Amino acid sequence: MAQMWITMGPQHPMTHGLWTLRVKVDGETVVDTEAELGYIHRGVEKICESRDFTQVTPYCDRLCYVSAMTWANSYIYAAEDLLEADVPERAEYIRLISAEIQRLASHLMWLGAFGPDIGNLTLMTWCMRDREMFLDLLQELGGSRMHYNYPRIGGVKRDMPIGFADRVIAKTKLFEKRLDEYEMMLDESTIWLVRLQGVGYANAEEMVNAGVSGPNVRAAGVNYDVRWAHPYSVYDEIDWEPAVEKPTSVKGADCYDRYRVRMEEMRQSCSMILDALNKIPGGMNTNYASGDEMIFTKAPTRAPEGATGFSNYECTRGASQFYIQGGGDGRGKNPYRLSIRSPMFITIPFVAKTMIGYKIADIPAIMGSFDPCIGETDR
Amino acid sequence: MGTSITQEQNASAATACLEAINARFEGTGITASVEHHSNAKKYAFVRMTCPPQHWIALAKWMRHDLGVNYCSMVTGTHFPDGPDERGWEVAYHFLRQPIQDQTPNTHHVIVAEELTGMDIPMEFEVFMPLAQGDSPSVPSIQSIWIGADWNEKETWDLVGIRFEGHENMHRVLNPHDSPEGFHPLQKQHKLRYHDHNEMYDDAQGFMRKPADEGRVK
Amino acid sequence: MDDIYDLRSIFLGEDSPVRDLVISSLEGTPLEESAGSIAFAAGTFAVVNIVFLMLFFSQFAILWIERKAVARMNDRRGATTALRSLWVGENGVTAGEWWNMLPFGAGVPVGAVNRWLNKKFGNRDENFATVDRVNNRSWMGYSIFPGFFQNVADGMKFLLKEHMVPRRADKLIFEVSPFLIVSSTLLILGIIPLSSGIYATNPDLSILYAIAIFGIAPIGVFFAGWSSNNKYTLIGGIRSAAQLTAYEIPLLLTLLSVAVLSGTFNIIESIHFQHSAGAWNLFLMPLGAALFLVTMIAEVERVPFDMPEAEAELVEGWWTEYGGMRFGMLFMAEYIRTYAACFLFTHFFLAGWHLPFQGTISQIPLLGDAYVLIPGAIVVLLKSWLVFLVVFVWARFSLARIRTDQILEFGWRMLLPLSVLQLVLSTLYRLFLFDPASMKDTAAGGNAWMIPGLEIPMLLPLLTTLLWLGVFFLLLNDEDKDAAPDRMYHVYTLQPAGTHTPGKD
Repeated sequence: MAQMWITMGPQHPMTHGLWTLRVKVDGETVVDTEAELGYIHRGVEKICESRDFTQVTPYCDRLCYVSAMTWANSYIYAAEDLLEADVPERAEYIRLISAEIQRLASHLMWLGAFGPDIGNLTLMTWCMRDREMFLDLLQELGGSRMHYNYPRIGGVKRDMPIGFADRVIAKTKLFEKRLDEYEMMLDESTIWLVRLQGVGYANAEEMVNAGVSGPNVRAAGVNYDVRWAHPYSVYDEIDWEPAVEKPTSVKGADCYDRYRVRMEEMRQSCSMILDALNKIPGGMNTNYASGDEMIFTKAPTRAPEGATGFSNYECTRGASQFYIQGGGDGRGKNPYRLSIRSPMFITIPFVAKTMIGYKIADIPAIMGSFDPCIGETDR
Repeated sequence: MGTSITQEQNASAATACLEAINARFEGTGITASVEHHSNAKKYAFVRMTCPPQHWIALAKWMRHDLGVNYCSMVTGTHFPDGPDERGWEVAYHFLRQPIQDQTPNTHHVIVAEELTGMDIPMEFEVFMPLAQGDSPSVPSIQSIWIGADWNEKETWDLVGIRFEGHENMHRVLNPHDSPEGFHPLQKQHKLRYHDHNEMYDDAQGFMRKPADEGRVK
Repeated sequence: MDDIYDLRSIFLGEDSPVRDLVISSLEGTPLEESAGSIAFAAGTFAVVNIVFLMLFFSQFAILWIERKAVARMNDRRGATTALRSLWVGENGVTAGEWWNMLPFGAGVPVGAVNRWLNKKFGNRDENFATVDRVNNRSWMGYSIFPGFFQNVADGMKFLLKEHMVPRRADKLIFEVSPFLIVSSTLLILGIIPLSSGIYATNPDLSILYAIAIFGIAPIGVFFAGWSSNNKYTLIGGIRSAAQLTAYEIPLLLTLLSVAVLSGTFNIIESIHFQHSAGAWNLFLMPLGAALFLVTMIAEVERVPFDMPEAEAELVEGWWTEYGGMRFGMLFMAEYIRTYAACFLFTHFFLAGWHLPFQGTISQIPLLGDAYVLIPGAIVVLLKSWLVFLVVFVWARFSLARIRTDQILEFGWRMLLPLSVLQLVLSTLYRLFLFDPASMKDTAAGGNAWMIPGLEIPMLLPLLTTLLWLGVFFLLLNDEDKDAAPDRMYHVYTLQPAGTHTPGKD
């Protein structure tokens, strides 16, 4: 049979979002690929040139909707760099806790989509059910389940509610036991291993050269993580280590390694949350009023022309960066240019090339193991 | 306690990079300085300004001799009201990451405080101001870092800065059939609503006029 | 051993009332000479329809079983809160402990087991009481099996949907292939007996017929995949054709082993044989039973073998372009094939309508007579449903999908040699370990499987079962990590789950 181009997407159950992957197949083997992005390009960078710095935060939530808190935090750090704002330590702790809870929710969403891609339909409901626990927690903090608009330049919007810490501890401890159940179901299943091992090799240096970061690279054996390399919050005060996995072959990390890295990351996030709650200044059961100096310091609202700020942040899918130039409309109330670096925008074309040589059935496995999210890709 | 890069490591790495750059490129028009973030831990990073004609040389040297292995972001900005020599600017962001291929079934756990020399992670910023005009262009670093590939495509697509030597340039975020010369992030293209009140008060746009209203057609 | 409930004798026997009725009503008419044939035709028509309707509508039970089991597994509310919701009290009150309603305190042990299971496996965290409402739906306050008619409603919904033909599809083949698939599937139901007296037809070679009918569907599948003018369906159709072809051969060889063991190609004869010879085929050929189940799961294309319709890549595979009732019938055909597979397993390996230990228990004075009164059809249905639940549904909700080339490798390189091995073993058993003189067609059955020299009844099946169970557990626990790279599949994990501590090893 001759080689033919198959178009997967833009509407396709596999793609985890709205993009097109065109694959050229020779029988069942993938011979060439082309990725087409841009279906949900909303022009966020242009819009933000007409918004105040505070008004930009909700837009950043909607970049990667699955992992909104980390993107909002990422922007806030860049804005604080630009506006030269200080952040009280308790607010940093709360940001850390919220970001790690968001990381758990995002990885659960990933697993809940990845399982059905491989064929294990039960994982979808299990992960969604466990993710509900963390969405409820984030709802307590931010007011809504997915787009919170929670961090502020100079702190956070409001403090943790009374009893929040107890709920976090209970749910996190329950979830750690659930992780054991997941691993029992998956890691001891030959079919799961057979589908994931030996598929989708990507080695570390090539990935770094191509701009891939985050758990995808840690699966190839080096525990590089922006949280310790370019430290930005109180990560050096709590007890944690980035999850890293041994790559299976000289060709690099396969899908199984990337899956295991995220499972370990979930464990690390759980322990990070528990540790941060113990160490938070002011105690975990106190609630300061909004605007109190323990959680918020007023920041300047205008940035002069020529000022720049950029932040490096470990989002759930890699290293995200914001680069903001000051001096926009309103005598500097708006940014002149806001540039967003999304890890997935760079990873997806790389992954499209990784798939060459494998079977069609491996496409969802490889794609899913890199955890794409198109919201941040297309901005 | 969690590990993390200390202030001393960061400062020493930044100054070492600065010395290396100055030693190599002193007097060529490439300036470098060590700047500090204003947020969080106020860490140091290296900022360079480079004229376009020296960019490939600098990029190759950064890649091979300074160990910069990660091209993170390529940002283009349009300054229609700026000075003559800065009508456009391309800002590159790079990272140096201590990542190497691992032999199978082993992994390399980095203990941050023990990193030295070129292994210490460092952020790099390169600014490239371009003259006022209609066709800014910059040499492409697609062959040096693979990660620059789609970043450059996006910059051309949205801002209109051409990258010489870039293979297979095409639209990535805008539709493939966008008009020639349409690059939305240039400043002459205005947003439809500048104020969110407009959106709310006249959501269906009954009061709106078309963008080319008043133009003689 | 024949079941006492005999439908066919009501319609077709020598002194059946229907036959008498027909013949007597045709006396004096010009059709009198052929009254016998007409009575036969009428009786056959009635029997076939009744049996078909019984089989077809009891299929809703397995659809219901699958929904409920999968929902429970996904719901994760603990082991036995699930059982409670099967019965809803009046006015939709909370799902009660229905076992308390059983007479003579028969529910007390059930309650004890429930409490123990809840203590061991239930969701012990009382802080998270989730909403009970969903499990307690009832209609007008009454509900026997909640959710039972959902599938009927789904079927009716399919009737209302649009039937589309893609523009450049091969129209004739596109329209014909669902009919091929569905009609061949329904033909299987023709030979499945529900009891010794309740069956539509009983050809002499019904085992071969079953295999042959299962083999028609791949042609229809390939037609559907090709004719839809869609690359996805083409890939799906090809995968399906390859998979079904690969797995029909081990299936055929396994059924040949059954036929060899039973000495006949007739389903009903083989069921009688299992009773007369004193051992169910499951215990004489456990390898064959496992092979049968695996190949049947692949034949009906359920997870873990549902790569042809893998929704992640192929969006329903070769069914993609069908809409409306054609899709509904294809969907139904998959479940009919599954149901037929469960029935065939019950008949070939679990001795159809015979109750466990029927031979021995029927000798006990009162209990034995009551035991035999249980209708064979009910026994067959219950066994099939149990097989469906334990094998098909459980595999579906806990396993992932295997890739097509791995499926084919598995089928040709592992299952085919094993089925040949099973055939050889069955032949050896029949030749050397079978004592035809000890076969008894009485209610007590006989004991024909003997190790020569040791005249202990049931020893041979017991030893066979224990041997294969031992092999199974040995294979399960083989953890030779050094040998892993040489194996066909990587069946090892690099780190046992949960033991990887970053930074420490």
